[in-house]
Amino acid sequence: MAGKATSGQGLFTRQSSGLVRELGVPAATGIALASVAVVNTFINFYSGLFNFTKVDMVLPLLLAAGIWLVAMFAYRYLLRAIPRAGGEYIYMSRIISPAVGTMIGIATAVGFSYTLSANANFAANYVPFALNSLGAAFNSSALMSAATSISGTTTCVTVTCSPGLVICAVGMLVIVGLASVFSLRRIAQVILALVIFQVVAFVVLGFLLATHSHQDFVNALGSYSGKSTAYNDVIALAQKNGIPLGVDIGASLLVVPFMVLNYNGVLYSYYVGGELKRPGSTYIWASIISLGLLIVVWVGVWLLMRNTIGLDFMQAQAQVGGTSDYSGITNLQANAGGLGYGLVLSGDPISKILIGLAVPAAEIAVDLAFVAVVTRVIFALAFDRMLPIGLAKISERNASPVNAIILAVIVAIGFTIAGSILNIANISANLALFFALVLLCGSLAAIALPFRRPELIYKPGTTDVDRIAGIPTAAIWGGASTVLALFTVGVIIAKPNVFGAFSIASIGSLIVIFFSGPIIYVIARRMRLSSSSIDIRLAMRELPPE
Amino acid sequence: MFHGRPPKRALRIYFATDIHGSDRCFRKFLAAAEHYEADALVLGGDIAGKGLVPVRSRNGTLTAKVRGEAVAVPHADEERLRAEINQLGFYSVVGDDGEMDRLEGDKAAIDAVFEGAIVEQIQGWCKLAEERLKPAVRCIITPGNDDPKAIDAVLKAAPRIESPEGELCEVGPVLLASCGDVTPTPWNTEREYPEEELERRLDKILAPAPAGARLVVNFHNPPYGSGLDFAAELDDRLLPVIRGGRPSIIPVGSKAVREVVKRHRPVVGLHGHIHESKGAQKIGSTMCLNPGSDYAADVLRGVIVDFADDGSYLDFLFTAG
Repeated sequence: MAGKATSGQGLFTRQSSGLVRELGVPAATGIALASVAVVNTFINFYSGLFNFTKVDMVLPLLLAAGIWLVAMFAYRYLLRAIPRAGGEYIYMSRIISPAVGTMIGIATAVGFSYTLSANANFAANYVPFALNSLGAAFNSSALMSAATSISGTTTCVTVTCSPGLVICAVGMLVIVGLASVFSLRRIAQVILALVIFQVVAFVVLGFLLATHSHQDFVNALGSYSGKSTAYNDVIALAQKNGIPLGVDIGASLLVVPFMVLNYNGVLYSYYVGGELKRPGSTYIWASIISLGLLIVVWVGVWLLMRNTIGLDFMQAQAQVGGTSDYSGITNLQANAGGLGYGLVLSGDPISKILIGLAVPAAEIAVDLAFVAVVTRVIFALAFDRMLPIGLAKISERNASPVNAIILAVIVAIGFTIAGSILNIANISANLALFFALVLLCGSLAAIALPFRRPELIYKPGTTDVDRIAGIPTAAIWGGASTVLALFTVGVIIAKPNVFGAFSIASIGSLIVIFFSGPIIYVIARRMRLSSSSIDIRLAMRELPPE
Repeated sequence: MFHGRPPKRALRIYFATDIHGSDRCFRKFLAAAEHYEADALVLGGDIAGKGLVPVRSRNGTLTAKVRGEAVAVPHADEERLRAEINQLGFYSVVGDDGEMDRLEGDKAAIDAVFEGAIVEQIQGWCKLAEERLKPAVRCIITPGNDDPKAIDAVLKAAPRIESPEGELCEVGPVLLASCGDVTPTPWNTEREYPEEELERRLDKILAPAPAGARLVVNFHNPPYGSGLDFAAELDDRLLPVIRGGRPSIIPVGSKAVREVVKRHRPVVGLHGHIHESKGAQKIGSTMCLNPGSDYAADVLRGVIVDFADDGSYLDFLFTAG
């Protein structure tokens, strides 16, 4: 026999060589939660209240979680059938066609690289808030004046920009890029630590909200603003401006897509499917834990905010927060949302530090997770020779795709610098629609799976797939996910003032991003066929076991 | 740039390795002939599984732990349960509590059950190959260090399988030299030899090759320091060695293989053994390939290699399916 047999719990084993997959449930959960950015919900709560009137977040949070829950089961079939890194690119190229797969592959690689840049910019914009919080915690005027200087603006080519914040964003991307060279398991540990930091900040915030009464907040805001009537003045200002307050179910339903985007990333452990131990179950557990945690934390904190801060005040503040009349009442930054309320209520320096650093920590975690995601897509494209094979090179030491990481970070830095000197807001205006379309692609792949590649999901020992009432179960989940994704896409398109206006530049950029994929596929294939005997289409053929 | 004429291929080999008892991967391996339009399939060793699940029979019910989860099925579902266990790359042994307890305390008995299960599986696979492969497709399976020597005879006896272990074998325009022997590993497997002995054995295999013959070596062990042989360094307890807070990664290939490749200059080297070190690397004029292995996730990693009619190497493409 090869080696000596040993007995363990419920299994006898032979000693023999080899292991590959190293990401378990905790690491996959870290990647999923980091892709979401737990604390960003405060900003998103604010955005929801800013863009919609008479909205309460409980129903949208629960319905949006339901949409992701359905999508989770659809993606489970895809990951079980094709347990590899690359996400929608891999699924579409193997199930639908290589050209369609390359379309979504290139689109996600570009879109996610832009997201890296957007997150870095977002974090940079919160550096002043963080410095102010730290200044308050340490009673340091130097930190507060640093916050002012770092956000100083000047004219850059055609737009007003803030060089200090651009340097912060680029610096963050460089740090994230360097950190990403380590093994994914080590990165996942760092991500998990940052997620835990966010959750601690969340818990502290929840504690502050739970241990203070509504009247405490009214008094604290008065004290913070130097005006004891500040709370009622904000509500009165909104009423004077004719802003309706209260709750309307219809309005709350319209916020659902907003909250769908809030959860975006909660399933992203499938992008590293090639590195998950027992991919099917690890993915499901990581996604369920992440979704469950987010529902509890987000709904819990929202309810606490509604109780302690008051829904009317939050709605009023979001609507009038940008006006000069509001500035005359209080200097509480409206778009900080719950973080701002926490700052008002916190009396100790530790809370201020946690609240101040929560957003930058969240964005670093998001970018680490997105680098992991986008580089796996680039790796998968390069492995299939859609991109230069050098991008699929794996570092022997850390098993990380170093060249893909360098490319992703350079592209993200390019977006950051371009965004600071040019007006590219129009080009990226439909990012929300882009993410919804990615979800739609995955859902369509799940529908097609049992019809186009049933052999990949045959039940053991049979030549049929699981069915309910004669319909393949994978198609049912895929169909449900498609309907919900279409609803999200529909609302996003119907509400351009909220989710991004359509312009020639924005639609053109979507077309370029999506249609460059098939063109790259045709060029790469023709080039290879002219010099090689092997068609790259073979790399995209998923082998059936039967 | 699109008007070149692709070189004409005379032979396409599909090579995979280290499937470790995965029934699903073996079935995919057979399907690869049609899907990748391969003329010859080569499975380069370590085909035997590593785990044996005890299935306890009590009062008409079978219970087992499958991937850590307790499973109980009626006796009538024995075939299905065993098939599902096999899907995971494990074997199964059915018995009552007394038999299982006796087995647990008897390592030699477990070894015997393992060997029986492995041989039974390989026999089944040989039969499957006979049923599924088209007559024109050649199917070459050679053992690796993790395979018990008992399977050699099974492979040799199978009518649809060729197993030229330790021999030269003509495959179209090339001569294929196969060897599943490796240098010593921490697991003390059956086909391990010191570098000097391994070099002698490899030279002996290649010695009969006529001068100028186009050789392809199917050596399970990758060449030392080739980039196809990086693995975590292990301590005496088989745990990863941590240096500077990170697992120490070291080359674990064979210097003998490297020397033999440099000396005999085959056109292509097909290797396995180190699952996590997938890659392609030239040693001199030889293109050395290790497709890696991801059998635990039912993924069959492989590589397509094309040869021209004079036996020269044309191109390769890694696949994962």
